[in-house]
Amino acid sequence: MIIKNYQELSSLEIDTLREIGSIGTGNAATALSGMLGSPVRITLPEVRIMGYNEAIDWIGGPEPVTAGVLVHIGGQLNGIMLSVQPLEFINLILDRMLSTTITDYSQLDELARSALLEVGNIMISTFINALSGLAGLKVELTVPSLTVDMQGAILTVPMAEYGGQTDYLMTIGGNFSCDGNELPCRLLLSPDIRSLNFLLRKLGVEDG
Amino acid sequence: MASGNKLVIGIADMKMTQSGQELITYALGSCCGICLLDPNIRLAALIHIMLPLNMETGRKNTMKYADTGIRETLKMMEAKGARRMRIQAKVAGGAKMFAVNNNSALGNIGQRNIESVHKVLRAENIRLVAEDVGGSVARTLSFDPSTGMATIKSYGIPDKVL
Repeated sequence: MIIKNYQELSSLEIDTLREIGSIGTGNAATALSGMLGSPVRITLPEVRIMGYNEAIDWIGGPEPVTAGVLVHIGGQLNGIMLSVQPLEFINLILDRMLSTTITDYSQLDELARSALLEVGNIMISTFINALSGLAGLKVELTVPSLTVDMQGAILTVPMAEYGGQTDYLMTIGGNFSCDGNELPCRLLLSPDIRSLNFLLRKLGVEDG
Repeated sequence: MASGNKLVIGIADMKMTQSGQELITYALGSCCGICLLDPNIRLAALIHIMLPLNMETGRKNTMKYADTGIRETLKMMEAKGARRMRIQAKVAGGAKMFAVNNNSALGNIGQRNIESVHKVLRAENIRLVAEDVGGSVARTLSFDPSTGMATIKSYGIPDKVL
């Protein structure tokens, strides 16, 4: 079945996507764990289909500032992947990698920004590699880009990209925990609808 | 998202008021906020659009797009007694949030939003009195109909008043 909007996804298809999210996030957690030097666990990944303003509420309001790393996915799968990194997560990374912490985003220097960009890039790439290996897809990633700004505006990037196709934002992703503390970092994949059909077909999910 | 007694405009949304209540829309990235005011009857509207052109078949969500959003709002304002020649517009937004050279067919959405807003305002004979567009930072736009002032807050730079 070819779906035209996210609401047409069957529960079997949603389960499949959640499983992809689980495998992708699991691989990203392993990569993160290597970078931090301590074990990282994942919570049960979620597949969410949200209206625009619902999505903004879900992430915690439009105005709080966060860092975000964005990668465009091309090739046989089109989409946008975001790594949203709030201050707490940034400090964990900076502490382990550079032995420094910050109290405000304005203190991020060139080296710190590059560390965050690379952490985001590695997590995103491992997620996508796991997914493309699983589905047998040829996928290309663009050079990652980091921005520090209001999270509402960061989240509207995938919305605007697919705004012509849908009034909803779809995200596949999960949360991480390290040393018993939940890491408030999110890894979000927003696929476009055509690619979603292709991905589900590749994975052999028929209309359930 | 209660913020005092301000009217909050979400994404792909529009609100209109004649009571002088302040209008606000948060975190405009590549989106554009368009303030429209007829000072004679103190009728103000704020639109938060996301994309430049409405190419949907059903055209349901008019406020998502610059072209249908502005035209629809002008129609609604005129129905309340506003006159096109008196309406003033102030525009903010259209930033490029991530410095990526994406090869997507859409290109730079922010820039295209700005161009579309300009084009539609010109075609509808609406005077654009002030704007703060482009760049790479998100903006929160609030509009006070009683003074006609638009205030723009961004992260890390001083507030601007249009």
